[in-house]
Order: sequence, then structure tokens, then C-alpha cells
Amino acid sequence: MNSIFDSRSLRFIAAAMVVVNGFFPALWILLTSLKTEAELVSKPITYLPHQPTLANYVQAFTDQPLLKYLGNSLAVALSATAFSLLVSALAAYAIARLNLRRRQLILTCIVASSMFPLVTLLVPIFETMRTLGLLNSYTALVLPYIVLNLPVCTLVLVSFFQSIPKDLENAAMIDGCTRMGALLRVVVPLAAPGVFTAGILAFVNSWDEFLLALSLNSNPNFRTLPVGITLYQGEFTFPWPIISAALIVAIVPIAVLIAIFQERVVGGLTQGGLKG
Amino acid sequence: MAGVSVFDRWRDPSEKALGFMLLAPAFALLALIVAYPIGRLIWNSFFDLRLSGGGGIKFVGLENYLLVFQDPDFWNATKNTVLITLITVPGALIIGLGLALLANLPFKRKWPVRLALLLPWALPLAFAGLIFAWFFHTEYGVVNDVVRRATSGAGGQTEPTMWLLRPGWAFTAICMTIVWKTSSFMALILLAGLQMIPKSLYEAAEVDGASKWQQFWQITIPMLTPSIIVALIFRTITALQTFDIPYTMTKGGPGNSTETLAMLIHKTTIDYLDVGYGSTLAVCMFVLSLFVTAFYLKRIGKNA
Amino acid sequence: MIRRSTFTALASAVALMAGLASSSAALAQQTTLRVFSGGANQRPDLMRKLFDQYQAKNPNVKVEIETGGATSELQRQYLSTVLNAKDPAIDIYLIDIVNPAQYYGAGWLEPLDAYVGKPAEAFKAYLPVYLSSNVIDGKVAAMPAFADAMFMYYRKDLLDKHGVKEPKTWDELSAAASKIQRAEANPNLQGLSIQGAPIEGAVCTFLLPYWGQGKDFNDANGKLTLDKAAATKGLSQWLAMVDAGVIKRNVAEVKTPDTVNEFKAGQVVFAINWGFAWDRFKDDPDSKVQGKVGVMPLPAVADGKSATCVGGWQWAVSAFSKNKAAAAGLVKHLASAESSKFLAVEGSLLATYPGVYTDVDVVKNVPWFKDAANVVIAGRSRPMSKDYGQVSDIIRTTTSAVLARTKTPAEGVAEIESRLTRVMR
Repeated sequence: MNSIFDSRSLRFIAAAMVVVNGFFPALWILLTSLKTEAELVSKPITYLPHQPTLANYVQAFTDQPLLKYLGNSLAVALSATAFSLLVSALAAYAIARLNLRRRQLILTCIVASSMFPLVTLLVPIFETMRTLGLLNSYTALVLPYIVLNLPVCTLVLVSFFQSIPKDLENAAMIDGCTRMGALLRVVVPLAAPGVFTAGILAFVNSWDEFLLALSLNSNPNFRTLPVGITLYQGEFTFPWPIISAALIVAIVPIAVLIAIFQERVVGGLTQGGLKG
Repeated sequence: MAGVSVFDRWRDPSEKALGFMLLAPAFALLALIVAYPIGRLIWNSFFDLRLSGGGGIKFVGLENYLLVFQDPDFWNATKNTVLITLITVPGALIIGLGLALLANLPFKRKWPVRLALLLPWALPLAFAGLIFAWFFHTEYGVVNDVVRRATSGAGGQTEPTMWLLRPGWAFTAICMTIVWKTSSFMALILLAGLQMIPKSLYEAAEVDGASKWQQFWQITIPMLTPSIIVALIFRTITALQTFDIPYTMTKGGPGNSTETLAMLIHKTTIDYLDVGYGSTLAVCMFVLSLFVTAFYLKRIGKNA
Repeated sequence: MIRRSTFTALASAVALMAGLASSSAALAQQTTLRVFSGGANQRPDLMRKLFDQYQAKNPNVKVEIETGGATSELQRQYLSTVLNAKDPAIDIYLIDIVNPAQYYGAGWLEPLDAYVGKPAEAFKAYLPVYLSSNVIDGKVAAMPAFADAMFMYYRKDLLDKHGVKEPKTWDELSAAASKIQRAEANPNLQGLSIQGAPIEGAVCTFLLPYWGQGKDFNDANGKLTLDKAAATKGLSQWLAMVDAGVIKRNVAEVKTPDTVNEFKAGQVVFAINWGFAWDRFKDDPDSKVQGKVGVMPLPAVADGKSATCVGGWQWAVSAFSKNKAAAAGLVKHLASAESSKFLAVEGSLLATYPGVYTDVDVVKNVPWFKDAANVVIAGRSRPMSKDYGQVSDIIRTTTSAVLARTKTPAEGVAEIESRLTRVMR
């Protein structure tokens, strides 16, 4: 077992630091969602709410159709993730396994597409979607999200595919598999941590994305969560308690998803290592 | 049976044909979504296109690029961006590696550590900035409150630090927030990489009498290198494009001491409606990103 | 006999014409107008009622609301994309008072002269400020929706308690605030709360003491006429108040909601803020200052004049709309005196017509309009430049930096001048 921290208490302290580091802001938001706005200007600042109230959650759901936004975000993020993985896996296999001549250039092209700040590409993308009649739909977001996720997912998968010895595939192909069969039955399962990693990256990227969601899906029926949460504020008001309540609603599905899939990402399938 | 039928070729195509088929979806999407925008961006950078002037467009060739090199705001923003990159990329890597190693340890209940690892990633970026701006607020921030409670015993009633109002402190606060947010991205990639290292290697090293440190440097790091490179590439590209966190924390202030290149581009395009110059800045950022990540990409290419 | 057939002929002719008339009415097009009406603070609920009124009077028009951003900033982001792409989907925009110049200059707004008349007559009945803010290149770029201004709110109870009169100059205000702060001996009590964060309101923070000295920022043609000494004096005035403890040290972190929340919690004696704050102080259940708040015109600098910043929102027709005439019709209704009165009574939104302030119903329902009237009518508009995006950014960023003490007032003013001379030619 690779372990730098030998003593148990050292490990525990380290773990505690990690947990505090990761949870503290979320915890702060949770506590804020139970306070009133007036309590937020009291001096000295309070941590636990003086008079906890669920009114903010009620208002979060009544001021805006928060559940609808949640549904939209889930639909878009899940589709984008699924398609991103599919497209990236195919491209990554080609780059990692095939002896293509311009492999370097292909990879650079894919990664280079992420080197332009999105704000400068916004207007042409908007025009494209408008021409295709796709504005205010799930597709309008899923297609660009696949492109946004392509660089990261492809590169992650390329590096994972590369770390799997070719002999395994060759063995499978000698046994009668086609290349595609070898890809699906040998490579992908072994690169599972990479696949799940790329999946989580794609999911969270798509979940969080703001600029495109703001510009392409302005119709409330198709609005996503990040944009919806900014609508609680006004020109002159920033109701932290209500926004916090909405943020908790936004984070919980992801936290649940992560808690479920963290086993797959972190452990499990390659516990025994490769036969090498 | 003579020759290869079309069906056979379809089921087991040549490498080149297969490569084409596998890459087609990715490139079709790239062509559809970003090829035209990127093309137009590069095209616009050669024009004086300022919407505030009524939208009149004038070809100026490389003049915009010359203006960029003479623009003190550009150099200031680039300096800030490079500084943020130099601080937060290694920072996120080191902390991410630590987090990944920790999450890899055999705890009885694994999910709290792993969830804590990934939760920063789950918080929407713009709100992470606002939350940390709150943490660093002079009067209502947790950071100053903790300092006050810690030092009140020592008798010193020092003035609370105005974190976001002093260029140096604001920069520090921003870098800390960025590292907090992105170290979980790094940790995720490194963690998956850690999982791919065969345990047998460690067992063999154990048998050979290697210490834990030696195992770390001679097994873990080399085996992790591909993952590290991948993580570094994306951390670097996104660091060069840092926007949301400084934008929500300080809006580039005080003055423009925390303004990044991406913020300058955003301001030029959206607020000033100077599309031509904004495009030029964007192309410069692209060139910078390409240059910085070029040598990373070569290593990935070679590894195959 | 002839009469009967004539009668029959006439009757059938009438019947025929009636039939034709009704079928042509049925053939009349249903026009759908889409209106972008801002965020929560722009009261889309009240606007919806105005739209319903219009729909009732014009059955062939249907009005739909679009939202796309809660703050000016986010709206700018959204509108910039949509208008840059020349999108015809939205017909009418509700925009901030500082935007008509920039948007018209970019060719995004349809001039409304054909529908409302030339600028002089179109704006005759309105507050004087609209002649400068809504008229670009001699054309009517937008019609007023509702007004706003920066007011000086103060704790009437504290002033009465310590025998202080309403200050007329900034020096008097500073002295009054200090006196009250010392007497109350409450370390959390701020004398004056202003907005120093690099938000749009900071432009006003810069202009208020400058205008208070009777100076102009630009001439009628939009050329910069900055009096550097006066500007430096204005910024130094704020810093002097920080040094005296009247304004808090971290003023460069203060945004509009912060001032409101702190005043509501009873932590502030004087506060500068927009009109919406009045209702918050009066009606919010958690307000500790109910019944204790007064409002007065902004102080002047000694020997100067009282001046305030005008805000508010405007209706504009998109240059890419496919229903311009119908849209202009709706805009005329929305900018009418009746609509202004409706918004005043129902939403306490400041009226765009001086007449509305003295209307009997309005005075009965929103008594504070009596005090507000003088302030709004005397309000001044921020520099109306087609490059307002740049102008605003320069002023607010530099002002905030000066208030954060990373630049001295002299340095800040020099920077404003050098950057703006290029822009405001």
C-alpha cells in the first residue's frame, strides 16, 4: 500500500483537514440559508443561526421555478456527459492506439479549441444556434458542451488508454475480436477510472456552465440552474439567504452523485492492478 | 473466396479509415460549433470594429496587434495572469497531489474524504468567488473573525485587514480561492492515475527494502507522470483564462491590480463594445496558451 | 313596389358590408410583442399589469415577457450577445438610463421620432433630465419607464435627539454625523454610508461632490470638461470623512445592498442610496428603523448647489424588431402619465412626470413623493457618451481605487482625465 502517512493519528488529522477544507464553504452556505438577511450584518458575525428558518427555501422555490431549472440542468448535463464520453472515447482511441501520421496535430487541434475565451466565441455560436433553430432547447447547450468537454475528456482518456499495454488488445484480437470489439471489451473496462473521471469532469463542467446557458436558453422553461440562481438578485439587492438556499439545492444532486460514484472513480475495478 | 468484400472492410477497416471514422464525430462537432467562431474571431482581429462608433468596420491589418503591444493595460493584465498561473498551477498540483494521496488511503469510511475532495469542484465557479469574497470581507468575513478571536486573547486589538482592498492581499486571497477550487480538479485526475498503478510494484519494492519515500519518488511519481501532465495542461489553460474568481471577488480592483487578461477581453468586448480589439486580445491569449502548453503536448504525443 | 326593392337592396348592401367588416376584423393579424423587462428590481409583476391593460385595449396584440439577467451587468452580458447577433426575437427592451447613448450608437435601437414626435415635444411633459439622457444625435432613442435618484436618507430620531438640524452642506453633514456618533458612543454607528465598490453607483459617488461645486463634467456635445481641482477636492472630501471616522475605512467594499442592510439594522446615521430603499426602510419586517427615517436633498459643497444623480429605466424599441410600429404603440402606453401614476401608486416607483408628484392619489398613497419630487426634478444625468461603457469603467474603477487609498485623489483624477480625454472627444 502506498502510504506516506504511517501513523494513524497523522492520517486522521490530515483527513480532518481535507474534510474541513472541502466542506466548510458548503457548510457556511447551508447555515446562511437558515438565517435572515438582517442577521448577516450583525457584528460580530454569527455562525449558527439565531433563529433558524426555512422561509428562504420556501422563497427560493416560489420566487423562481427552481425545480424546473434543476431538471433542465440535469437533463443537459447528463446528455452532455454521455455524448462527451462517447465522442471523446472514440477520438482518444484513435489517437492513442492507431498509428496515425498527424497524431500530434490532431491532439493539438482538439486541445487548442479550449484556448479561446468563451466570451469571444459567444456571438457566432449564438448565431449558429439561431440559424439552426435550436435556441431555447436542450440541444442548444448539449452540442457546445460536448465541444467544451472534448479537450479534457479526450486528453484524460488518451493518457489512460496509453497506459494499458497493447498486448491485452492484441490477445483479444487474436482470439477473434475486431478492433472495435477490443476497444469495448478490453480497453474501456480497464480504463474505467479514467472513464469515470472524464465523466465526472464533463458532468461538473456542464452543470456549472454559465455564459452559454445565459445567452442560448433565456426562456425560463429551458433555463439552467446557474443562470436561475443569479436571478434572485436584483439591481440593488443580493439576498444571500435565499441564494444560499438555492445553492444548496444546486449542490446536493452533485454531492449525491459524487458520493455514489466515488467508489467507481477511486477504487474498485482495478484494485488488483494489471497483470503486468 | 477472392478479395475483401465491402462488408469485411467495414467490419475490419484499415487503420487510416478507422481513424477517420473514430475522429469524425469530434471534428464534425468542432467544425460546427467553434470553427466558424474562431475563424471569425481571427478575421475580426484585423479590423477596427467598434460598435459604439455605429458599427462601421475598417480594415487595419496588423495595427490592432501593434496597439496591443503598446497597451499598458494589456501588459498589466498579462502580468497578473502569468503571475496567477505561476502561483496557482504548482499550488493546485501540490495540494491536489496531497489530497489525492490522502483520498487513496484505506480509511474505514471513505466517502467523507472523497466527497470533501470533490465538493469544491461542485460549487459553481461564480458563486465560489462570491462566497470567498464574503470570507475575506473586512467586517463580515470569517477570515478576519477567526484572526480576531485568535488574537484577542493576546491583547492586540489590531485593525482588521482589508483583504480585498490592498493589491497584494487581494491577489493572495484570489490565488488562495483559485487553488482551493481547482486542487480538487487536479486531485480527481491524479486519483484516477493512482488507481492505475499496479500494487505489485509496491509489493516488490517493499520486499526489496525500499522506504516509503523511495517508493513515492521512484514508483508513484514516474507512474503518475502522464496524469500529472494531463492535469497540468488543463490547469494551465484555465489559469491563463482566469476570469470568474477575480471578477466576482474584486472586479479587477483596486484599480486594475487584479485584472486578468480574460477580464480585459470581457471588458473590451462586452462593456466597451470594441469587438475588433477584443478579438485581437483573444488571439494573443490563444498564442500565449499554445506556447505555454506546447511542450506538455509534445510529451503526451511521444508517450504513445 | 320600387321602395320595397330599394329597401331590400339597401338592407342586403348593409348586411354585406357588415359581413365584410367583421371578417376583415377577424383577418386582422395577431401581433406578439416580446418585451425584455429586466430583473426583479424592475418590477416585472407591475409591468405585466401594464401589458395586460394594453392588451385589453388592443385585442390583436399579445405581450410576452422575457427575462435574461438580474443585474445591469448580467443584462449587459446577455443583451450584448443578442443585439450583436442582430436577433429579431425581442421587440422592446427595458434599459438603464445610462444605456440609450451606447446602444443607439451601436445601431441597436430604433429612433422613435416617427411615433412620439421630435425630442422637444416628445419630452415636454417629462422630467428635464430625459432631454439629455434619451436624445442621441437629435433623435428620440428611448422613452422613460420610471425614474430614480440618489437620496440622502437620515435618522430623523437621532437628529432630533441630539438637536441637529438637516445639514445643507457636506461640511455641516460631516460635523453633524461626528457629533451624533460621539454622543451615541456606539462603535458600530457609521456617520455616513456611501458606495465605494467599483459598481456603477461609484460613478455617482465621484460626481456628487463634483457637481456639488457647481461643475459640469462634459459639455452639450459630450466633450470632457473636467475641472481637475474640483474633482480632486471632491474625492478628498470623502477621504477626509474617512479619516474623521464618519465614513468607514473599508468604504471601497461597500455596495448598494450593504448600505441598505446596515441602515436598516440601525447602524448608520446618514445614507446615500436609490429610491427603492425608502420602502425597504419603511416596510421590511426586519427593519429596525421604521418610522425613524427622513429623506432630504443631497448637501452641496459650500458655495455650491445641491446635486444628485438620476437613475431609472427606459423603454426602447429594437432596431431589429419585425413589429416596430406595434412596439412603439406599446411603448407610448408604457411611458404615458397614466402608467407613470400606476407605477407610482402600486410600486412606489418614482414618476417620470413632474405632474404626477403632486397628483392627489399619488400624494395620498406615497406621501414621501412630496419630499422626493424636488430631488428628482433637480437631478442630473451622468455623462451620456456612446462609449459610456468605457467612461463608466474608468470613473468607477479609479474612484474605488482612490477610496481604497491605492491612489491619491490627485493621481486618480489625473488618470481619469488622461483616459477619458481620448474617449470623450
